[in-house]
Amino acid sequence: MQILLASSFGAYLFALFRKEFIYAGVLLQLAYLLFRASELGRLPLVGPHDTIVFFTACAAAFSLPFGRLMKGEKAFGNIISVSSALFTALALVYEPRNFPLPPVLKTFWFETHVVLAFMSYALFGVAAVFGYLYLKAPQSLAETLQYKAVLIAYCLFTLSMIFGGIWAYLAWGTYWLWTPKELWTSILWIFYSFYLHARLRQWWAGRPAAVLGIAGFGVVMFTYLGVSLLMKSSHSF
Amino acid sequence: MNPLKKIYQILLSLNTSLWLLLIITALFIAGAFIMPDNPGFGSIDIPLFDWLKRQNLESVWWLWGTIGVLSLLSVNTLFCSIDSIIKKRRVTHWLLLISPQVIHTGFLFMLLAHLLGASGSYHGEAAVAEGSAVKLSGGDILAIKNIEIETDDSGYLSGWGVDIEYNHSGNFTESARISPNSPFIYKDLNIMVKDVQAYPEAALLQVSRDPGAVWALAGSILFTLGILTLIALRMKMEKT
Repeated sequence: MQILLASSFGAYLFALFRKEFIYAGVLLQLAYLLFRASELGRLPLVGPHDTIVFFTACAAAFSLPFGRLMKGEKAFGNIISVSSALFTALALVYEPRNFPLPPVLKTFWFETHVVLAFMSYALFGVAAVFGYLYLKAPQSLAETLQYKAVLIAYCLFTLSMIFGGIWAYLAWGTYWLWTPKELWTSILWIFYSFYLHARLRQWWAGRPAAVLGIAGFGVVMFTYLGVSLLMKSSHSF
Repeated sequence: MNPLKKIYQILLSLNTSLWLLLIITALFIAGAFIMPDNPGFGSIDIPLFDWLKRQNLESVWWLWGTIGVLSLLSVNTLFCSIDSIIKKRRVTHWLLLISPQVIHTGFLFMLLAHLLGASGSYHGEAAVAEGSAVKLSGGDILAIKNIEIETDDSGYLSGWGVDIEYNHSGNFTESARISPNSPFIYKDLNIMVKDVQAYPEAALLQVSRDPGAVWALAGSILFTLGILTLIALRMKMEKT
């Protein structure tokens, strides 16, 4: 089954030459996740291996409609292809976690919480790419698309936090736990709240907003991988 | 300029919101690195404000700071929302005008939830054997009638069901079944099973009270409605 994942790595690299290969990469990763789901009998979104695959597939899939709007901008597709290949390689480094889920994780609230979180992380990543493109060659389309990607991601991330809070209340009797993951999640949410409000001010529009969009993805990566690997938390990932 | 008017204008400014959001981000980042050095954060079982007063300022200054800045942000949010409604009521479509204010109201409800929780929440745990009972503060009695433990083919714990009886100060008794992610909720009280033991059959019960939970849920619903409406309106405006 890992062959599907390894093939998706190749597909993302080939997408550097023919952009249609990105579709193949997404389909291979979705097929891999479906196989794992049927094998495990649960949503395969526990631990770094599965979550990185899901995050990569989402980022590549979300880049497709945005890529169509960025007609003629090869750099966008290239950055997405290279980063998708790199994240797939990272996923291959980690062992898949095949153990059964503890009873508290077997709930709609947990599954939706995780799915929405990684979808939003992926969109924040796409937004960061637009930020980079804007800095390279300032054009209002890249900045507008960055804003749109952030707005949708922010909505998904907020929903993920709400679903996580409901799940935590049902599972642990509280909707808030004092752990670094919760705190970094709030940092991320406040940071993008800042971005969305700052953009309303003339001074922040354009370059500063693009920089914020890129910095935000740094916060996303630290919240996702940094906190989970370096700090003690209620979240395994 | 009149100092009161100056304060009013500062509280009405979007720049103030931006500064406050930046300060909260900085305080939370500091807290994320300081917090792991104080293991007490993992076992707060009394109202947060009472707990904070007992801690060394070194490990909780960032949280006191955050509470202060969040208070200012609440006032700022309220002022900005009211001002926006007054100024734009004639020039903007009412849904476009109201959606951001619904989001802001949701945010304020969530802050209120945390404030209420920090002032009056608690939780306690007790291991209770099947067939026995515990008396809770306030005179209520919680009894465990039956414990069922489920394991899968590999012997892993796959679920449990605990039948309880909750007696309200000797007045009336309610029966319920608690299982993972399905606690017994009565008003702002949440009774759940944290763990179960097969031999002898016992359950680790957690009783927690959070007066802010309902406000958090209300705030979440408002925030979601507001942000979804805003996105839908933006999409509709782009199409036309």
